[in-house]
Amino acid sequence: MPDEISNRGSALNESALVYRSAEPGAGRGDIDISLLEESLRMSPWERMLANDDALNFGESLRAAMERRNAES
Amino acid sequence: MQNLSELVGRLIAAEVEFVLVGGLAAVAHGATLVTRDVDICCRFTEANLMRIQRAFADLHPVHRSRPDLPLDLTREQCASLKNLYLRTDLGVVDCLGEILGVGGFDQVAEHGVVVDSPVGKCRVLDLETSIRAKEAMGRDHDRIAVKQLREVQKRQTPR
Repeated sequence: MPDEISNRGSALNESALVYRSAEPGAGRGDIDISLLEESLRMSPWERMLANDDALNFGESLRAAMERRNAES
Repeated sequence: MQNLSELVGRLIAAEVEFVLVGGLAAVAHGATLVTRDVDICCRFTEANLMRIQRAFADLHPVHRSRPDLPLDLTREQCASLKNLYLRTDLGVVDCLGEILGVGGFDQVAEHGVVVDSPVGKCRVLDLETSIRAKEAMGRDHDRIAVKQLREVQKRQTPR
């Protein structure tokens, strides 16, 4: 399978891509461009790890809030 | 504690034939939304499904709709399954036989791009096809993901 993968499709190789920065003052409605640009500075795998961190942080906040609500 | 990247890593290590799709594929492309599960499109052969079962064997995998049923696939089940929705100790994994707006595994695999991971190479649904699949789903959070992915697309210029 890994051999098959390496021979199929195009690689999502960050080094082969350049991401253009937003023009100064550019707004995109409900998209936070600075967050998007921060994400694009990472590799795809790093983005998945960051998703795990955010997911677990959100879960811990929610658990803390539930404990607080139960106590009050 | 959820660990979606570990789940993906296990699929790679177990040599499961799959393409990462859905929210985590969008994240891999740069979307900043937080996703809570792993969606894969995979080949629904007995051999491949058994690889999935082995990959998660020590994570107490259960069928999501029947958490009282541990994952213990039989040959007959493998022959009839179209999708497989799992819950494990590290998070939820949805295994899909086809993707709305794209097609079955072979069509999805044609639109896979390769991402390096510490465990090995992983196929991820490409940006344009991820946008198409998200548009086909049409839910509120899919529409936000599409906006972000279109923004990513604008920023990609081949060197």
